[in-house]
Amino acid sequence: MSFWRSPGFWLNFLLIFVGGALVLLIHQDTLRETAFTVLMYIALASSLNIIMGLTGYVNFGHIVFFGLGGYFGFFMLSQMGWPLYLSMLAGGCLSAAVALVIGAAVLRLRGAYFALATIGVNEAARAFVANFKPFGGATGLFVNFSVYDQYGGSASALWWIFTLLWIVATLTVVVGYLVKHSRFGLGLIAIREDEDAAMVMGVRAPLAKTIAFALSAFFPALVGTLYFFKNGNVEPEDAFRFQLSLEILVMVMLGGKGLVLGPILGAFAYERLRGYLLISPLFKNLHLALSGGILLVIVLFVPGGVVGWFRERFPRLRRLLE
Amino acid sequence: MKKIFSFMIALGLTLGLAGHADAAQKSILIGFTASQTGKLNVEATRQINGLNLWVEQVNKAGGIKMPDGSHVLVKTKYYDDESNKDRVQELYTRLISIDKADFLISPYSSGLADAAALIAQQYKRIMITTGASSDSIFKKGYTLVYMTYTPASRYLTGALNVLLKLDPAAKKIAIIHENDKFSTDVVSALKGYAEEKAMQVAMYEGYDAGTTDFAPFINKIPKGVDAVMGGGHFADTTTFARQLYEKQVATKMVALLVAPPEPKFAELGEACISVIGPSQWEPVAKYSPEAAKAENVEWYGPTVAEFLKLYADKYGKEEPSYHSAGGYAAGMILEKAIEASGSLETSAVQAAIDKEDMYTFYGRIKFNTTPNLHGLQDGHEMIYIQWQKGKDGKPEKVAVWPASAASAAPMLRMSR
Repeated sequence: MSFWRSPGFWLNFLLIFVGGALVLLIHQDTLRETAFTVLMYIALASSLNIIMGLTGYVNFGHIVFFGLGGYFGFFMLSQMGWPLYLSMLAGGCLSAAVALVIGAAVLRLRGAYFALATIGVNEAARAFVANFKPFGGATGLFVNFSVYDQYGGSASALWWIFTLLWIVATLTVVVGYLVKHSRFGLGLIAIREDEDAAMVMGVRAPLAKTIAFALSAFFPALVGTLYFFKNGNVEPEDAFRFQLSLEILVMVMLGGKGLVLGPILGAFAYERLRGYLLISPLFKNLHLALSGGILLVIVLFVPGGVVGWFRERFPRLRRLLE
Repeated sequence: MKKIFSFMIALGLTLGLAGHADAAQKSILIGFTASQTGKLNVEATRQINGLNLWVEQVNKAGGIKMPDGSHVLVKTKYYDDESNKDRVQELYTRLISIDKADFLISPYSSGLADAAALIAQQYKRIMITTGASSDSIFKKGYTLVYMTYTPASRYLTGALNVLLKLDPAAKKIAIIHENDKFSTDVVSALKGYAEEKAMQVAMYEGYDAGTTDFAPFINKIPKGVDAVMGGGHFADTTTFARQLYEKQVATKMVALLVAPPEPKFAELGEACISVIGPSQWEPVAKYSPEAAKAENVEWYGPTVAEFLKLYADKYGKEEPSYHSAGGYAAGMILEKAIEASGSLETSAVQAAIDKEDMYTFYGRIKFNTTPNLHGLQDGHEMIYIQWQKGKDGKPEKVAVWPASAASAAPMLRMSR
């Protein structure tokens, strides 16, 4: 493995690592809040890219893992009194295990049928949690404000949560890169290009897809636990937001699917564009229409996403823009 | 040239003096987010209309009057939160750390207010929540968050009081509710209250959001129930009320959430007659300084008639809803506390809000100050409206409970 000699790896790694480190260094609250949302979207989009970008399986239900894993992590934290980092890992493991089970069933479907099944999974998970008493049913769960005292008070807890999210986002990007450049990743790309041909060539497609699915499910659960802990509560309506699932898809498409840099730039651009329009006096009433229009143009005319377009126009940059 | 010179000096002096006067005039900045886009847009706009009317009235009177005779002007700063929780925390942090908001008003809805309240407490700013009725916000140990609305746990308990007043022998109720956070919160408190009153909850069922056929639930209602209570949001509750009428369910009372106070509910015609529903406030409410005096509580702010007129003058024909009244009342809570404490410091204003007990056009306002439920609204009562037949035979909305706000007497459902 010579990934550490690849400029593409370092560009992706440093973008996240230095970006997060700068926020910690500047130590400004508003900046942290903005960076939290950006890093959350980057982690979600990058994890979706592992299954969608590499295997070509469009997953409309990625938010299930954010919701379900986040719910479990928050449950361990608030009801069982586990520390935050252990709760996150518990959420991640449950999420990956659920993905293994679901994946074994739904990954037999291809194309539109798979996409439809993932929408169903999202609804099923929401309905299950809304009726599951240990998770608080429709009312959800919450933590008392004094919980943050364990982390040196609420102000310091916010920085602590941000730092953990920064690590999770960096890890997601690094794992995404490693998978893409591994033999396993090559198998996934072969599945994307022609699944039958890949199987003939010796790729164990069902197993590879299921492992990729479980891997892509692990990270959203970590993000979910952090996000719900930061909010202090979790409810079914917040945990399984179908709209967010669609937005993550758009982020991946906007930046360029199948590329590690794509979801990073896609998530950043999408979040900042909406954020800017929101506080601009000129556009604040029009921001959703405007961002929708811009997205439509990009998706229609630049199907490979922004990074894909640059790679096509400037072949020399391909080693850097991976 | 001389003339120009003198003009410039005069202008400079005027501007300087004006600037000086401006510097002497104290002001506070109230920060909030408004759901200008997204699913909560209509209710949030009504709420902001009420709040803006309060700001206009205060500033028209020269500002909030302090005990030393000076006045404090009110300024506002707000952003659109897209009805989105992610955005709310980011924007409230911005309002506090960049815009330097002194006090905060919550966004509309329990979910968004819950997210914003955490930021307010973390940054030690007072937040008045309005448009939020979830009890759980106030079980988290916050000390700076105060509630304008009656909490969800008391949404339907008053309806049970109405039933017991009309028929003290009532013993059995059925609860059918939407299976979401708000409705579940409401009915689980109702169930507890009914059991406390030694009543039997003969049926307790939840239905999924978007249910359109209630026949399986209605068929399951046991015979001889004295009241059917529950519901959820507008569409499902309206359908539920219609199907209860069509299936001729024999019961003395139907009390449902959210839909009955809406004017559109009257479109059900006969099916809406006798249905009772809770509302935070209604223009037909009869709160008055006299009623306040009878309870030995201070009256504060405009009367109901004055508020209706102010609102009509500013917003034309649109009748204020409880969202608008809540927005105005949230402003008054701050105004009264700043007046009483004579300070803009968070701790002094907090102590003054803790002590507040007043009657307003919106009803009574008083806060729970125990550590476990600090900030929860204790004084305000839901108004129960009932659709009754008007003189012209058409459905007419009247306030039937509590007595201090009632415009007509409650009635039991007529057997058909």
